[in-house]
Amino acid sequence: MNQTLVATAETAPREADLAFDRLYRSSRDDVYAYVASLVRDPAAAEEVTATAFERAYRKRSRFDPRRGEPRAWLFGIARNAALDELRRRGRQAELAAEPADLLAAPAQESAEASERRLALAAALAGLEPRERELIALKFFAGLANAEIAAVVGVSESNAGTKLHRAVTKLREACDGAL
Amino acid sequence: MEPFRDTDLSAELRALRPTPRPAFAAELDERAAAGFPRRAGGGASPLSRVAQRIRAFEPRRALVPAGATALAAIAAVTVVVAVGEDGVDPTPSPQADSAAREGSFLSETTAVPPESAASSGGAASTEMKAGPSSGGPYASQAPNREVERSAEIALVTEPAEVAKDAGRVFEAVHAHRGIVLSSSVSDGAEGEAGARFELLIPSPRLGDALAALSAIAEVRSRHEATADITAPTVRSGELLRDSRATIDGLLTQLSRADTDTERSATEAKLRAERRRSTFLRSRLSNLQRRANFSRVSLRIETGAAPVADSGDEGWGIGAALDDAGNILGIAAAVTVVALAIIAPIALLAGLAWLANHVRLRRARERALS
Repeated sequence: MNQTLVATAETAPREADLAFDRLYRSSRDDVYAYVASLVRDPAAAEEVTATAFERAYRKRSRFDPRRGEPRAWLFGIARNAALDELRRRGRQAELAAEPADLLAAPAQESAEASERRLALAAALAGLEPRERELIALKFFAGLANAEIAAVVGVSESNAGTKLHRAVTKLREACDGAL
Repeated sequence: MEPFRDTDLSAELRALRPTPRPAFAAELDERAAAGFPRRAGGGASPLSRVAQRIRAFEPRRALVPAGATALAAIAAVTVVVAVGEDGVDPTPSPQADSAAREGSFLSETTAVPPESAASSGGAASTEMKAGPSSGGPYASQAPNREVERSAEIALVTEPAEVAKDAGRVFEAVHAHRGIVLSSSVSDGAEGEAGARFELLIPSPRLGDALAALSAIAEVRSRHEATADITAPTVRSGELLRDSRATIDGLLTQLSRADTDTERSATEAKLRAERRRSTFLRSRLSNLQRRANFSRVSLRIETGAAPVADSGDEGWGIGAALDDAGNILGIAAAVTVVALAIIAPIALLAGLAWLANHVRLRRARERALS
């Protein structure tokens, strides 16, 4: 995921546009997944995702590669947009995804798999919001620990520790439910 | 049922990952291809649109135009200040000084063209200043103006010619019935040899005398000035007439005095009035002499002209460096003043931005709590 945005933006705007296009195509679904997990509303998630990419596009020349990876920068913008949406609605973050999305079992899914998925969704809903955000960044968006640290504003080791605790807590909750 | 293993947990979590609708993904792709054009309205209020524009403002892009604007403003203010300083001549002319000393009734300025202006020859630079002249109800009605004139001439010659030219100065002064108040002639090498003269020339002959003096050698510089002293002259004359009338009255009073006491008192008044009359007569005589005779300062120099302290003549490298230093000093002063104004404002703006940034960050974090 090593992409350049601004290193080329200052000298060749066209190259910067191409780099941003690559970043967009590689991150579109990841950003949506992360945002949808935060705002828990598909329509709002679409609006916030579009807003996040629009803000990122406008700010693409301000990106400083010395301060982190482009994906971390993009997810930071998406996080701010999502939190702004939550503030606007005055609603607390519910990291668990929309039940209609998460719990809709595929037709060919076995009863045991469906039960495991329900248990996992319930365990996820039982986590603290910040723990759920870490899980979403790691497993929904596919970010590395360093990128997660940059997004949430903590050190990489701290992000790893918190993520490990969240995963352990999630597994224990799932095992308890089963 | 088996417990979750790490690999199972990762896979199960990824299976829970929300995915965008295909229609939304296609629409977003189109907007990305178009460079994310701003959405019309978008449900945002005008205030929020302004806020978005402010957030999208890029300080780095504003640096160059802001710097250029600041430099242009500093240059403009520097020019204004420099021109304003040039417009004020803080050095009063000798005539202004003398006119100011004359008394308190100086209110009207009258420029009298020197009669010598038309007759001056050579390549000399001639500057004429009409100093603050006396005025008032009496002076304005005076039929003949009393004008004090003065001149400064600098001649340049060879060291061997100094004595000869000094002699020609005496001849020219005598020819025009002038007076040599003081003179000083020095021999020596170039730059050391020279002469100085302080002359009194009858004012009606000043023009001819200056022309004759200018013909002695090459004129390096020439300066003429006038000051209208009509008002103090008229005023002094009137005071003198009043004083004489008072004396006559006191003499009559003295002749009619019956007692010693009355006689003594009248004599005391008479003595005081005579002293005042003497003073007024002296002052009037002095004023008339200044009007009748013009003071001329003449220098005979050898060697290169010294760098001028001021004025356009003799403007060279030294003067240019002085001017450049002055302009840089003014520019520095303007910059300091501008910084003194801008720095606190910028500091307050920076603190406000920082406070808002912290507030916004905390508010966002609270949304997750």
